[in-house]
Parts: sequence; structure tokens; C-alpha cells
Amino acid sequence: MENVGALSLLLAFCVAIFALFSAVVGALRKNMFLVAASQRAVYLVWALITTASGLLLYGLITDDFRLQYVGSHVNKAMPLMYKITAWWGGQEGSLLFWSWILSCYGAVVVLTNRKQFKTIMPWVIAIMMFTQIFFLILNNFVVPPFQLWAIGRGVIALPDGQGLNPLLQTPSMAIHPPMLYLGYVGFIVPFAFAIASLITKQAGDEWIHTTRRWTLVTWLFQTVGVTLGMGWAYYVLGWGGYWGWDPVENASILPWITATAFLHSVMMQEKKGMMKVWNMVLVSATFFLCIFGTMLTRSGLVQSVHAFGVSQIGNYFATFLAISIAATVWLILDRLEFLKSESHLESVVSRESSFLFNNLLLLASCFAVLWGTLFPVISEAVTGEKISVDAPFFNRVNIPIGLFLLFLTGVGPLVAWRRSSLDSLKRNFFWPTVSMFVLMAALFGAGIRNEYALMSFGLCLFVTVTIFSEFFKGTLAIAQKDGMNYARAVVELTHRNTRRYGGYLVHMGIVVMFVGFTGAAFNLDLVSEVSMGKSFNLGRYEMKVTELKDGENDNFAWMKASIDVFVNGEKIDTLEPERRIYKASRQPASHVAIRRRMGEDLFLNFAAMATQGQGAVIQAYVFPLVSWVWAGFWVVLFGTLICLVPSKIKYSYARTEVVGATSRAVAAVVETNAKS
Amino acid sequence: MRRVKTLALLIALATLSIAQNPMDFVSPDIRRVGSKLACLCGSCRNSVGDCSMIACGYAFPAKQKIKQLQTMGASDASIIGRFVKEQGLKALVEPEATGFGLVGWLMPGFALFLGLIAVWVYLKRFRAPMPAVVSAVTPARLAEYESSAARDLDRMES
Repeated sequence: MENVGALSLLLAFCVAIFALFSAVVGALRKNMFLVAASQRAVYLVWALITTASGLLLYGLITDDFRLQYVGSHVNKAMPLMYKITAWWGGQEGSLLFWSWILSCYGAVVVLTNRKQFKTIMPWVIAIMMFTQIFFLILNNFVVPPFQLWAIGRGVIALPDGQGLNPLLQTPSMAIHPPMLYLGYVGFIVPFAFAIASLITKQAGDEWIHTTRRWTLVTWLFQTVGVTLGMGWAYYVLGWGGYWGWDPVENASILPWITATAFLHSVMMQEKKGMMKVWNMVLVSATFFLCIFGTMLTRSGLVQSVHAFGVSQIGNYFATFLAISIAATVWLILDRLEFLKSESHLESVVSRESSFLFNNLLLLASCFAVLWGTLFPVISEAVTGEKISVDAPFFNRVNIPIGLFLLFLTGVGPLVAWRRSSLDSLKRNFFWPTVSMFVLMAALFGAGIRNEYALMSFGLCLFVTVTIFSEFFKGTLAIAQKDGMNYARAVVELTHRNTRRYGGYLVHMGIVVMFVGFTGAAFNLDLVSEVSMGKSFNLGRYEMKVTELKDGENDNFAWMKASIDVFVNGEKIDTLEPERRIYKASRQPASHVAIRRRMGEDLFLNFAAMATQGQGAVIQAYVFPLVSWVWAGFWVVLFGTLICLVPSKIKYSYARTEVVGATSRAVAAVVETNAKS
Repeated sequence: MRRVKTLALLIALATLSIAQNPMDFVSPDIRRVGSKLACLCGSCRNSVGDCSMIACGYAFPAKQKIKQLQTMGASDASIIGRFVKEQGLKALVEPEATGFGLVGWLMPGFALFLGLIAVWVYLKRFRAPMPAVVSAVTPARLAEYESSAARDLDRMES
């Protein structure tokens, strides 16, 4: 079995090289047979990597402890779901998983585009296969997944394996990596189309129209992946934080930020033919940050609980990145002529400008996160001494940027394309601004003194009012014109321009998430060693340990504390935080108990046995508004799905700058008005 | 046998609990000093004051040490200085605003400043000059049109 798996990977490597060269030679010599051969080779690469992946998965499920990877990441008592999860739980398996997803994307791209884009498709294949070859080099020669345990020349099988890290044995961790990888790897598609259009000197924006859905879908996968990671950290790590500015967490958010910037600036290219170079830079940066993130997780370059440990694999990634970035920069500089803007900015007070500032802030945030992540490494290289950069630095730098971005989220939709008059600005901004200041004053009056929290809540309302006013105006107009009820009118409005109104919903989701983030300013926590029958208080809650239970199953032994929760003397719930110790790995893990409410979560962690053995050490937290973070995610998800639905009305946007015709157009309208 | 195994595992679990009362090390004074020191356990990016792992291999002894030094009357600055002397600058939760640490603080702002200059240059370069247009519409007609548009908007918003 292991021989077939290893051979499949080796064949996939050879076929991928063939696909790359046949695509390039086919494109250069305009030989359609070679191009067709490269397309078939892409399918074959997918089939071979799928075979290898299937065999590794089979080994994991059937406890084939002859394989080193299986012995290191699975044990007999693990449930089936986590045996499957072990595929991406270790270095070798997860890199094979990367390769497999990449091959899936390659096959889907070829399948869906084989009859169109005849000029650029060979180059798309070449770029995807170049990346595939890099990962297959790792799979075959650097971290092969099919290595066996052996003593001398004899293959041996372990009686049982070490099992998966207990922290990874949770449902969200089973889904989080695949989602993140789908996002990470998926960004190769827009990147490949962008670079292919540069190579073939395509003057138009065809690659953008082609890859718009890909970009949105991969962004959605990234969003889901990052949020699942946040949810996992919140539930599993036992301290209730969902974002700790860990280097690997940062690595996952970096491409998300640039992808978000790209999703905004790409509208400038679609509608105005502007910012073409910038979009090339963004789409490339996103892809390279995905690779960089993968390198960060696997090389041991930075210290992280999420990392796979120190290895030499980072050198391979660094080489790949250096070659790819150099080639991309050269290509963009060489093709600047084809990337000229087709129109000009007419006014600083315009939607175009707001996109510019949005991109600037997103990139500033991206840079700040990247800088903070790498600063310990940089400081050590420059001064010989490592300087720590932890959560306080990131919060201090990113909170102001985040608030300004939130402000722009509200401003952008209210500013017109091309230019906005002072009157329209006054009209559009009056109520959002008034409501923002009224809320801030009310919260200040209610005793909130945290300036960031006040600003954040105020801005959340500001953006909410702008979004609702956009929906309200449009709905009213349709309801009056077409005689529809408001519910139908709002659906009709959204259907007519799904990108615009879906985008507003995404913004609304971000606002809801910001409400949740802001709640962190009011967190409460307490560590208490409590004996059986004793109570402790946190915020409005009184908690009493009523029982300690223990037990075991094949996978782990557990101890639970039953804690009754009271508010104003009335029992409202019983929570049972649990402490586990996994038998195979001998590692402990917490299973926290959470009372989730929209207002606040009560979060209890059974941290340890009490010193005297008669009680428990309980960590209790109150997290106000944290559920809004997860609720916001669902709104973002819904909004993005709406963006993916084709609009009922196809909009086209004039790009030619109209000089001197404005007055004639107004005159014509006035004449028509006068006649009617 | 199974029961014995469970008992052994639970004893192992209990040994993971700390030998001293954790409540002794969560006082505001310890937190205040701890919030300036990085937890170097490698599992989190919190400060010693915020590290919530009860038996954290770094934060817990660090808290004990802070308490010990505070009992001896040491000031916050001298406690932090002692950690820096022993561990180097990595003992601090964030870079100092001096030396190379200052570069760490300034660089994000500098990048933003550069970005602003780039946007300004872009706006200046790509902003089209306003065309001088001789209007074919009389001011009266234009005012009539504008008031009509305003009426329509008001009607729509009411």
C-alpha cells in the first residue's frame, strides 16, 4: 500500500512537470495538441494525488501503525472523525492535503474553462503546475508521508500510536484547517489568471471577470476558516480568548486582509478601469502571503503553539517565494504599458477615493501585523537580541486602524462614484452622524469611559444607519414604483444588484462582529479555588460547586465539576466544566462549560484540582457581547452568498470621461422634465 | 484493573494542579507588574499578568517571583529591570520606546505615512482637471430642475 502511495506521488510529480512544459511549449508554439495534453495531465495529477491521499487516509482509518505518520498521529481509541482529521494534523499529511486541494482546484479550473480563454489557459495551467511541482517536491523528497517504522531492514508495526494532539480533537478543529486551506490554496486561481493575462499581454480585464467568483469563494473559505479557528480557540484553549495574535493566527489573517483589499479595489478596475497595477500587486501579495503563512507554520521561524515544529522546510518555501516574487515583480514592471488606467479621478470626494483610503488602511493593518509578527526575528538578526512583540502591541496598533476602517465602511456607500456634492454629503451623513453622537453621549452618560469602546459603538451605529438607509431608500422606491409590499421589495432590490446589497450585508456582519470585539473591553475574570458546597461570585453571578465526578473511556479519563449558577439568589443554570487527560499522549485538555447569551457569555474552566483535593480550581469569565462575533460571522456568510448570486439586472459602467457633455445632458433632462 | 488505571490517571491529573494556591498570585499588584512582562512559555502571546494557564511553566514562577520581590519592597521598575537583566529584552511584553524597539513602534506609522503620500501622489496624478464648460442651461432652468429633484428625493424619503 505504502509503495503504491509513494509511487503515485512520484508519478504525480513527473506528470506535473510534463503538464508545465507541454502547456508552455504548446502556448509558445500554438500547438493545440500539447495544450490539450497538458490539460489531461492536470486531471492525471489530480487522480494520482487523490490515490496517494486515499491510501494515507486508509492507513489512518485502519490503524496501520507500520507507517510513521499513522503511528505519530493516530491511536486505536480515537474516534473515526479524528482519525480522518489526522490527515492534516501533522506536517507530512497536511502538506499532502495542500497538494491534493491544489490538484482539485487545478482540475476544476481546467474542466470549467477548457473551451474558453484559449490564449491564457495554457499559462494558467503552467502557473498552477509550477506551484504543484513545488508541493510535490516536498511530498516526495522532503516530508514524505509514506515512511515506515523499521529496525535494521525489517519493517515493524507499533502496537498503538501516540494519537492526535488533544487540542485538535474537537469538531471545529476537524473543519477549520480544510476551510483555511481551501481559502489559502484557492487564491492561486485568481493569481494564475492575473499572471497569465500579464504574460499574454491581455489588455482587458477578462481575468477579473473570470475570477470574480473564485476570489469571492476563496475569500469566503478564508473567512470561515479564520472564524472557525477563533471559535476553536475560544472553546478549547480554556481562557476564552478568540484571538491571541499568535504568529500562526497572524499568518492566517494576512492574506485575508489583502484579499479583502483586493475585493474592494477590483471594483475600481471593473467600473472605471483604474488601479490595474495595484490589483495585480494585491492578488499577487495575497497568494504570496498564503505561501508565507504556510512557511511560517512549518518552518519554526517564529515560536507558536500552532506551529508544526522546527524543520528545514522553510528554506524550500523561502526559495519558492523568492523565485515567484522576483518573477512576478519583473512581469508587472515589464507590462506596465498594459496596465494603464482608462479613466481619471474626478474628485477627491468620491467613491473611488474612499476605496483608495480603504485599501491604504487595510494594507497598513496588514503591514503592522506582519511587522509585529516578524519583529522578534528582525530584532534578533539586527541587534542579536530578541525583542518580544505580544498582544498589547498588536492591539495598540490595530484598534485605531480598525476603527477608521469601520468609519470608512459607513462612508464608502454614501459617497457617489465620480464625485459627491456638499449637499448630498450633508443629506446622506446627517442622520448617521447624529445617531452616532447621540449613542456615544448616552453610553458616556451610562458610565462607559473607555474611549475606544465609545467610538466603536458609535461607529457601529453610524454604519448601521447608513446601510439601513441604503436599503430603505431602494426598497421604498421599488415598493412605490412596482406596487410591491416592503418584504418583496427588499428581496427585489437585493436581487437586482446582489453584489451591492450582498456587500452591504457583509458590512453589516462586520459591524455586528465589531460590537462583539468591543465587548472585550468589559470582560471580567476570576480564578478561584473552591471547596465542595462553597460559592464564589463574578459580576452578577454567584456560583456553587455541587459535585465532582470522574470517569473514563478508551480515549481519555475525565473529571467534571457540577457548578450551579445563581443570579439574585435564583438558580438559572448548572454548568459542568471538564478536565480530561488523554491516555495515549498523556496530555491534559480542558472542556469548558459556556452559558451563551447574546448579552454575555459565562465561561467556566476546570483548571485543576484544588490543593487539598476536596474541590476544584475554577477559572470563571464573563465575556460581554462575545456572541455577536459569531452572529456577525453568519451575517457575513449570508451576505457573501448573496454576492455570489447573479444579479437580475446586468449593470454596465461607462468608463469614458465625459467632458463638456454634462451641461448638455442636464439641458436635455430639464427639457424633458419641463415637457412632462 | 480498569479502576486502578483510572485512579492513576486522575492522580496524574491532580499532579498537574499547582502546589500553591493560585489565588495568592492573582492580586492586582502582581497583575500590574505582570502585564508589562511577556509570558515566554511558548504556548500563548499573553503577558505574565494575563496568562490564564494555571500551571503555566513560565507565568506561574514569574508571578511567584514578582510577589516575592514585592514583599521585599522592590518597586515595579526594579522588578521589571530584574526580569530584563535575567531574560533580556524578550522579557518585556512589547518593545521599549528606545533603541531598536523604537523602530518597532514607528515602522507601522511610517508605513501608513508612506501610504498616505502614495495616495496623495496618485490623487494628484490621476485627478483630471475640471473641464471649463460653458453651460447650455439657464440658471433659472437649472434651479427648477434641482428643486424638482430635491422634491422627488424628499417624497422618496418621507
